[in-house]
Amino acid sequence: MVRLEKIEYKPVSVRNLLIEMKNISELMIDLAYSAALFNSQLLAEEVIELEQRVDTLAYLLDMSAMLAARSAEDAESLVGASVIAAATDKISDAAADIAIIVLRQIGIHPIVREAFEKVEERLTRVEIKSNSTMIGKRLGQLELAAKMGVDIIAIRRDKEMIVNPKADEVIKKGDIAIARGAPGGIEEFEKLAEGTIHMLED
Amino acid sequence: MSQEETFKKIIDMLVELKDTSELMLDLAYSSVLFNSYELAEEVQVLEDRMDNLHTEFELLVLARCIQPEESKNFLGLIRLGIVTEKIADAAAQISEVVLRGLEPHPVLKLAIKQAEETVAYVPVSKNSMLVGKSFREAQIQEETGMWVLAVRRGDKWIRPKPDTVIEADDIFIASGYAEGVEDLRKLAST
Repeated sequence: MVRLEKIEYKPVSVRNLLIEMKNISELMIDLAYSAALFNSQLLAEEVIELEQRVDTLAYLLDMSAMLAARSAEDAESLVGASVIAAATDKISDAAADIAIIVLRQIGIHPIVREAFEKVEERLTRVEIKSNSTMIGKRLGQLELAAKMGVDIIAIRRDKEMIVNPKADEVIKKGDIAIARGAPGGIEEFEKLAEGTIHMLED
Repeated sequence: MSQEETFKKIIDMLVELKDTSELMLDLAYSSVLFNSYELAEEVQVLEDRMDNLHTEFELLVLARCIQPEESKNFLGLIRLGIVTEKIADAAAQISEVVLRGLEPHPVLKLAIKQAEETVAYVPVSKNSMLVGKSFREAQIQEETGMWVLAVRRGDKWIRPKPDTVIEADDIFIASGYAEGVEDLRKLAST
């Protein structure tokens, strides 16, 4: 039996909740397909964890919408937010369904991999090791996109998941970075995170 | 159809299901952002297509005589198909907010994109320098600041990828600042 946490109201704006739900659910779809493609338990577990986060956000959003409605007009315009939140929650559930294919070891026919590999981009999840030259640097400073065609789309730091990190986010030791890019660039990025190669000089 | 051909067809359909479902999401969020009835309707049209495609996909998988040792792998395929269908349903649900005439709360528009942006339908003329170029070569965003969300080609929708080649008579659905729309129209016509 899964123990579900009690969700208490916190004053967060509907707008911020919706942004976070949308960002996380989109990240989840990407992560889930990659988990299936590379048969990666780690990525699949990441998806399941994010799914719980989206559930919590959906509850909070409904609570906030209820409190924000003071008139019939408010209710008419806020119901849209609620419907969209529910749809976003559905999307995150769908991503979790893919993760479950991986976690239950149902597997996907190997030929699928070939088909999806035509897609040029790959996703990776790497820990920033203690001798990586990225530590202490701001994302903007690293210029990963310009130098290796790689984008960090999320960072897991302790319990927190930072989706679409900003240019001034500073990389810390032990961060788990989720990055997207062309296969060559991704390999380079993985080495950079592990500290086996150092930052390319300008 | 030989086993081999059936299998190739199954995979192609799965890729199409995945692409269509993701395209629908982009269009659905955009329909809310721009309060665009037209985009919302496109999502509904795609939803019908998804339903047919998904049924066809499942029938094909079932029609392939599956060996017992392959059954798990095929279950994985079927489940992936269901996921794309769920995502498509969610997209349709989002677009319904617009179709029901619920003027989206300002909070929603801000949430979906934080800028004053607009959406435009831009046809590509056969004289355009874009024809025959891939999106990577065309550098549309760099040139115009407009982001092409989707391409309508005949009765098909395409979600542009870097190596998608632009054809004459394509219609772009693009979003960006109003100033960019004119630049994009120019690029697409000459």
